[in-house]
Amino acid sequence: MTGGEVGTGETIVFWVCGTLAVIGALGMVISRKAVHSALFIALTMINLAILYVANSAPFLGMVQIIVYTGAVMMLFLFVLMVVGVDASDSLIETIKGQRVAALLMGIGFSILLIAGLGNGLMETSSIGLETANSANGGNVEGLAMLIFTDYLIAFQVTAALLITAAMGAMILTHRERWYPRKTQRELSEERFAAGTHPGQLPPPGVYARHNAVDTPALLPDGSTSDLSVPEPLRARDDVREIDTDDIEGIRKLSSGSSTTDEGDR
Amino acid sequence: MTEILPAEGVFSLLWVLIALPAAGALILLLGGRRTNTWGPYLGILTVVGSAVIAVLMLLAMMAEPAEQRTVIQNVYDWVFVGSFQVSFALQLDQLSIVFVLLITLVGALIFIYSLGYMAHDPDRRKFFAYLNLFVAAMLLLVLANNYLLLYVGWEGVGLASYLLIGFWQRKPTAAAAAKKAFVINRVGDVGLSVAIMLIFVTFGSVTFQDVFGQVGEANEGTLTAIGLLLLLAAAGKSAQFPLQAWLLDAMEGPTPVSALIHAATMVTAGVYLIARSNAIYNAATWAATAVVVVGLITIFMGAIIGSAKDDIKKSLAGSTMSQIGYMVFAAGLGPIGYVFAIFHLLTHGVFKAGLFLGAGSVMHGMNDGVNMRRYGALKGVMVITFITFMAGYLAIIGIPPFSGFWSKDEIIHAAFERNSIIGAAAILAAGITGFYMTRMVAMTFFGKKRWEDDVHPHESPKVMTIPLIILAIGSTFMGMALLFWGNIEYWLEPVVGYESVPTPLPTWVYIVVTLVVVIIGAIIGWVTYARKDVPIEAPRGNLLTRAARQDLYGDAINDVLVVEPTYKSAHALTTFDNKAVDGFVTWTASFVGDLSKRLRRSQTGFARSYALSMVGGAIILLVALILVRLS
Amino acid sequence: MNFTPPAIDYFALSPMIVIFAAAIVSVLVEAFAPRTIRRFLQLLIVFGALLTSAVLIVLNAGTRTVTGGGAVVIDGPALVMMGTIVVLSILGAALMAERSIDPVGDSFAARASSLPGSEDERQLTQRGYLQTEIWPLTLFAVLGMLLFVTANNLLLMFVALEIISLPLYLMTGMARRRRLLSQEASLKYFLLGVFASAFYLYGAALVYGYSGSIFFPEIAQSLTSKPSESIVVFIGMGMLIIGPLFKIGAVPFHQWVPDVYQGAPTAVVGFMAATVKVAAFGALLRILYVAFGGVRWDWDPLIWIVAVASMILGSIVALLQTDIKRLLGYSWIAQAGFILVGLAAASPAGLESTMFYVIAYGFATVGTFAVISMVRDANGEATNLAAWAGIGRKSPLVASALSLFLLGLAGIPLTSGFVSKFAVFVAAIEAGATWLVIIGVIASLIAAFFYVRIVVIMFFAEPTEQTASVVVPSAFTTISLSAGVAVTLILGIFPQPVLDMLSNAGLFLR
Repeated sequence: MTGGEVGTGETIVFWVCGTLAVIGALGMVISRKAVHSALFIALTMINLAILYVANSAPFLGMVQIIVYTGAVMMLFLFVLMVVGVDASDSLIETIKGQRVAALLMGIGFSILLIAGLGNGLMETSSIGLETANSANGGNVEGLAMLIFTDYLIAFQVTAALLITAAMGAMILTHRERWYPRKTQRELSEERFAAGTHPGQLPPPGVYARHNAVDTPALLPDGSTSDLSVPEPLRARDDVREIDTDDIEGIRKLSSGSSTTDEGDR
Repeated sequence: MTEILPAEGVFSLLWVLIALPAAGALILLLGGRRTNTWGPYLGILTVVGSAVIAVLMLLAMMAEPAEQRTVIQNVYDWVFVGSFQVSFALQLDQLSIVFVLLITLVGALIFIYSLGYMAHDPDRRKFFAYLNLFVAAMLLLVLANNYLLLYVGWEGVGLASYLLIGFWQRKPTAAAAAKKAFVINRVGDVGLSVAIMLIFVTFGSVTFQDVFGQVGEANEGTLTAIGLLLLLAAAGKSAQFPLQAWLLDAMEGPTPVSALIHAATMVTAGVYLIARSNAIYNAATWAATAVVVVGLITIFMGAIIGSAKDDIKKSLAGSTMSQIGYMVFAAGLGPIGYVFAIFHLLTHGVFKAGLFLGAGSVMHGMNDGVNMRRYGALKGVMVITFITFMAGYLAIIGIPPFSGFWSKDEIIHAAFERNSIIGAAAILAAGITGFYMTRMVAMTFFGKKRWEDDVHPHESPKVMTIPLIILAIGSTFMGMALLFWGNIEYWLEPVVGYESVPTPLPTWVYIVVTLVVVIIGAIIGWVTYARKDVPIEAPRGNLLTRAARQDLYGDAINDVLVVEPTYKSAHALTTFDNKAVDGFVTWTASFVGDLSKRLRRSQTGFARSYALSMVGGAIILLVALILVRLS
Repeated sequence: MNFTPPAIDYFALSPMIVIFAAAIVSVLVEAFAPRTIRRFLQLLIVFGALLTSAVLIVLNAGTRTVTGGGAVVIDGPALVMMGTIVVLSILGAALMAERSIDPVGDSFAARASSLPGSEDERQLTQRGYLQTEIWPLTLFAVLGMLLFVTANNLLLMFVALEIISLPLYLMTGMARRRRLLSQEASLKYFLLGVFASAFYLYGAALVYGYSGSIFFPEIAQSLTSKPSESIVVFIGMGMLIIGPLFKIGAVPFHQWVPDVYQGAPTAVVGFMAATVKVAAFGALLRILYVAFGGVRWDWDPLIWIVAVASMILGSIVALLQTDIKRLLGYSWIAQAGFILVGLAAASPAGLESTMFYVIAYGFATVGTFAVISMVRDANGEATNLAAWAGIGRKSPLVASALSLFLLGLAGIPLTSGFVSKFAVFVAAIEAGATWLVIIGVIASLIAAFFYVRIVVIMFFAEPTEQTASVVVPSAFTTISLSAGVAVTLILGIFPQPVLDMLSNAGLFLR
């Protein structure tokens, strides 16, 4: 590939990957689930990477895949899976006309850029990276040369940016404990000192036909335990009445005899 | 040609003239309550000090030949950047010295008088501080040797007057009046600041010498623009049509003292500006004509308003508008008028000061009542006030040999030198002056007692009457002194120019006609208000009276033209801070307030709508760029 | 392949190196020093570094060099801007260091990570915890600003823009009082700031696409050498300057300003309002004068539009504000418009007057916020104007100082604001934009009204029960306040030395 002309293969790659990148970008904005958004953006990134490689910038393409798709997006997905997505986020637009206006502005801006760029690029021919890549014996070497000469200072002060970002994350999330850590003994004492039920509460009852939380557990004497039903249900009087027939059936079941009429339901 | 001399001898104290009252203001304002007891005396001392220096300078100046009376003192280089160079330089010449004397001498009398009038005000110290500030700013205004420094004084005067009018902020009317004065003055200030920039761009300098020296090289269109802008500025400061509305409201100032500040001193700044810029007006005839028209309109507006107001201070304020109108009018006449504009300004400064302080003395005795319909028959009770007031009265209506006669007569004469119609108009206005001043005197001092029950009129203390007496003497003799002994027109000639053109009729004819018209006016006033009983409640009056009571609908016209379309909607929207927005000014306020509301609504608080407007803005900017590119 | 490292003039860069090094040391102090002495160490580092940097800038006077592989340019205007930024940062940092105004500590949350209103927050506050991370953040922000005004290529300028922004986003969200408001402001600032940065980047890419370089002199050269000026480069330029325009709060990129002004800790607002404006104007001047100086007629209309919109919108909306911090936010927008008037002149006079304006403005602003931080009632700072009624009677000295600043901002003569307004207006008229100046004069007339309104409220209104009291501050705030007063007066009465310095500083090194 020489500078100044674009081969057929490159043209095909551009249209395929370019389309996919745009679809990915749109999908990222439109999709309602955060995970889908993340995957869409990964799609965009990969396609961009392919375009970079096709434009004789292999290093940039690789870095794009490794850093963005490999590291950043995966990190993002991990966070989404660990933290979970709050589905209660309202997606209803409250500002009147915001969406329409946003759409119009987006289209307008695109038209402006496309028209402007199209017009401007009409008489421009592509230069390509041939010369730049060969000057220092390769793409990576060329980049290295630039980083350590022309952009040395920019490269160095990026450190300030990274430190600030790291520190910012710390400031916003790191909780400092102002109280001493409690020992096992203290925790245990605290629990008993409260005077409430120190152990686990009885779980709800489990019968053949009911295992919902509103089903009270049976005590050995045949009565039911209110404690086994969650407090809100009790407050609402939503505790299920135990059908004595059921209990009888269960008793029979456990004693070996069988009632077949509705046992396998 | 006038020579410019460096400041030596007594003139090296030029900066002290301003520094003294400025230091007084600073000490009083920063000293806080510690200076409560001796502060006011210090204030007086600084102004008296300036007055003494001014008198010494006058004497020194008179000893010099006429061509060597311009002194410039460069205090320091203020702004020197590239081609833009302005020094903090003061200029004293025949024109500025008369203003300096007026400001310091009348100022000193006002100070002494205030000592008595404000004796019981808890904020007396602050009042004196503001007065000092005012004097310092006013002196800077008239002593500046360039337009930019003049502007500094101009703004300072505006600020001080704002503080003085609003001195009694607890009175909502005073607060509103202060805001009104501030805003209207700012409109004038815009004129001045744009004029200064235009002057700088045209002449490459803002010092008076450079500008006036190069007037011939500028084209007339630019000069006319500058002249009209300066006229706008002068109209704002001197309460001329169409920026007259604030002066009447400014009478809300706590005392006749501050009223006087505005009536006799501050409002002369506009006349000074026009007289100082005479070279520009001489070269821009259209602008000069505009000055004449504005002056003439204001003469009549003021006189008519003065005829209808029952509030003694407002009636005097109307008369002030009218008299300042005479000065502006005279200044617009060109070299035949400048000197008489200044002459009238001086005599007016003295007799109007006397009238205002006299009115204050009357109010002092009448429990601060200002309604002339509740005065009457005070001539026996307040003898000194009455006599001094009469001196002022005779001076303002122009009865010989009182001072106003000489100056007004010269203006009328100058008007005839230019054009008989405007001369006749000036005579007619003099007749109206005779009417309303007679009305005022009749209602206040003659007729029957119409006092309110708990009012016990008494003569004011000496600290108030002595300034009255001094001013009355001035009202009586100053005109003659300036004209015959001082040769005022030749004194001022080197600065503002003077020429005389023959008139169609001999001079004495105009004098007699004027006197006759004035006396007819006075007789009508006397017959209406002294011979008949004055009703306590104002009668409904004819159309003109009612219009005049409403300041000739000055506010109403502003309302209808500018405010009405937006006024109501703004009111509904402006739920808070009514006072600030309403009082802002009766006109633009509501419009701007409404706009402000609407614009503020775009501030929704949602980041996404902010982002949207950023994109919108970016699109507009880029489209603009492309359009510029393609055009 | 032969590699020659770029020559770096370390002495010329030393003002920045000192700040950078100090910032890193300051981070280490956060990590390793015991909590009790952190504040002391940090103050030592911050003020030491800033003062050292200031001295180094002075020692560099006269330096005119391009260094670091052509990336950094140290010239007269850059040194002036750097000096201003560092001095203003000292005053701003002094406001942040103030600890005796709020009864429980400085103006920052004890821990920014604790939930507002939680027990955690209460305990940490009670124990007097201080978030000393603000100090390294401050130093980084200063570093970013110094780089912003000296960057000679679009990439370094972008990195600098981000180095300024990140710490400010963080510090905006760390107010001790009204924390939710503060956090909301921080998030908005962040989102919109990132948005503006994206515009900048896109613009930089387009400019590079046109000229083949991101170095300002080469962009300028390509504009003159290429026969057909493509529309691409103008779209690129337009998007490029959105970055700095956002930072100076010019309309239509202004909407974050009032929210951030209201939400952020007052000390931070004082710091950033003064310094960021200097830095952003420095960058904007360099982009437009150096890189695009040859196509002045293309960008001038754009600046006109922005200037007019900013002056008018800022002045008018400020009229109805009842919160003094919001009001000053809008005044900031209006002031940005006034400064742009000078910038639009595109002449040496425009450069000088713009620099003079930002210097004058910076000092008045620091002083203003020093006063605002001192006026408090039971709930913290009393920013509602109703609480300012009659302050002037209770504390005449402080109220007088604020009045001086406000009159300065309004452009009343004998204050710095008058000279600066006059200078930019004259520069604009000389460049032929008389109509722009007339709009400017009218806008300043409207603006004067709301500035004076505050003065009136302070001095003329009777104190009510709502009236806040003025807390006596420690030396930190006092120093900032006095410096503000002194500079506002000196630049109004004796502006000559500073004007001389600015004209000696000369033009940008191309």
